[in-house]
Amino acid sequence: MISVKGITKTYGSGEGAVEVLKGINLEVDDGSFVVILGASGSGKSTLLNIISCLERPDGGSVCYDGEDITKFTDSRLTAFRRTNIGFIFQQYYLLPNMTVEKNVRMGADLAHNDDYGKIIEAVGLGDKLEKYPAELSGGEQQRVAIARAIAKRPRVLFLDEPTGALDENTGRQVLDYIANIHKTQSLTTIMVTHNSNIARMADRVIMMNSGRIVQTYNVDCPQSAYEIGW
Amino acid sequence: MVISYRDALKVVGIIIVCCCAVFVCTLFLNYNLDLCGIEGELTTPAAVAMYYAQIDMGRVTVGVTGGCLVATSAIMLVAYIKNYIDSHGRELGILKAIGHSRISVAKHFVVFGLGTLVGCIIGYVASYIYLPAFYRTQNADGLFPDMPVTFHPELFIVLTLAPAAVFSAIAVLYAFMRLKTPVLDLMREKREYAVKMRQGKGQKRTFLKEVAVATLKGKKSHIFFVAFSAFCFSAMVQMAISMTEIASQTFSWMIGGIGLILAFTTIFMALSGVVRGNSKTIAMMHAFGYSDGECRRAVLGAYRPISYIGFVVGSVYQYALLKLIMTFVFAGVDNIPDYNFSWSALLITFAAFVLTYELIMYVYSLKLKSLSLKSLMLE
Repeated sequence: MISVKGITKTYGSGEGAVEVLKGINLEVDDGSFVVILGASGSGKSTLLNIISCLERPDGGSVCYDGEDITKFTDSRLTAFRRTNIGFIFQQYYLLPNMTVEKNVRMGADLAHNDDYGKIIEAVGLGDKLEKYPAELSGGEQQRVAIARAIAKRPRVLFLDEPTGALDENTGRQVLDYIANIHKTQSLTTIMVTHNSNIARMADRVIMMNSGRIVQTYNVDCPQSAYEIGW
Repeated sequence: MVISYRDALKVVGIIIVCCCAVFVCTLFLNYNLDLCGIEGELTTPAAVAMYYAQIDMGRVTVGVTGGCLVATSAIMLVAYIKNYIDSHGRELGILKAIGHSRISVAKHFVVFGLGTLVGCIIGYVASYIYLPAFYRTQNADGLFPDMPVTFHPELFIVLTLAPAAVFSAIAVLYAFMRLKTPVLDLMREKREYAVKMRQGKGQKRTFLKEVAVATLKGKKSHIFFVAFSAFCFSAMVQMAISMTEIASQTFSWMIGGIGLILAFTTIFMALSGVVRGNSKTIAMMHAFGYSDGECRRAVLGAYRPISYIGFVVGSVYQYALLKLIMTFVFAGVDNIPDYNFSWSALLITFAAFVLTYELIMYVYSLKLKSLSLKSLMLE
């Protein structure tokens, strides 16, 4: 279980200081699919970065199974990310000078996962192993990012606006992959989005505004990627 | 325009190398020109023999050291412009897209060539200040009559204005060629990704090895600069140590100093480029949980063997050059000691090189550590 208590974060100092997170509390059960929903500037991406150990908060704690990761040293945090965390971003962040196969191997090698070929097949890129990111469409690049994250066998998968740069058809396809992975692997999945339709796919929705959680609710019947509106 | 006159000063590495090249060339050429003026006044056979030896030594030094440094400056300039176009593709693409012609954009790259003018003038002035002391050192035995330092305007033009003009032309022409890339490819900062790597059948490298290979093969200019910096360190420092036995101490300090400046300039330029060029890879590796040590070994460690090769070549080069000068140039001159390879100089230089190299790598590993995905997101 992930337990977040009293998280605060401020950027800048003095008169230019911006308080991005104003005391966030939330809990995420193992195996659940949580969507953090909010408009641009609401603090959702900063919260995701803090929960996923990419950034340190100014105050508060982030506990994984009771262990507060905000107290970890940099090297211990790196080791923690190595075994527990997977990322998928809006901008993909693939390595431009590496082929699809090598990009996925970036994640697979960390988990000593030699079966990553099956994951590439599963995301429908089996015939594009030797292609470079520049030779792929946006949807294909995002599927490489998914394969790379999954090949790492993470405990928790973090997604920051994964369909933000994609058209509707490709976006639905990518969300469908993510939903399938969540179901088949019981992977704890935390996704940030500004699209309230996507939130209908989750078990639980956390709505944010101006650095605070304004509403939290459970979704009784989560919809599939092809049922939600766009 | 995306390029301003202030950008001319960013080519610090090239300015320093140009400065060293002009410093060395001015010393020997000015001396040679003045020496030619007193040829008729030489009466003793020893003076005549020393005269020809010094004239030849000046030619060899200018040809080998000056030529090598000028070629390095040109390679550094071309590499800098290539990196500049790669990293400013978006801005340059927009300029082309709104109707600026290729030549109208390329001509702004003249400022990088003009940067060399700064280096050449500093080198010339520094050399001119040092010339009286150099003249005294060269005539330490008193074989020649007193020779005043003469200003040779043609030398000033050849060593300052001419190189700046040539380097400016190279900058504009190279930029003109590189800007041939279609607008959209420039704006997408599309690079030549397909680095074909030879790999045996069934052989699979780990991801970290792939990063090391991709880093090495991605930018060949970095390999050259790392090897060249080790070469400079090895050759010039060993030469400086050996010269304390066969020439003056001032001369050995000068050679050693220039060698160290060149070594540091080129290695800093290369490693800065390596870190800049791999910032996305490193940031992503950090985010995924690769340790600082793994990132350092994959990105910087790949250059260690290259630097050792550069060191060995530098050792051979300095021995061959000094042996050549002592055997042929000073053949007829009396009281010139025999020159043999100095193993102690090699060991001292190697120890100093390993220490310096590892220290620089450590500084850059701290730079790698600071590259986070967050900083990449804020770009």
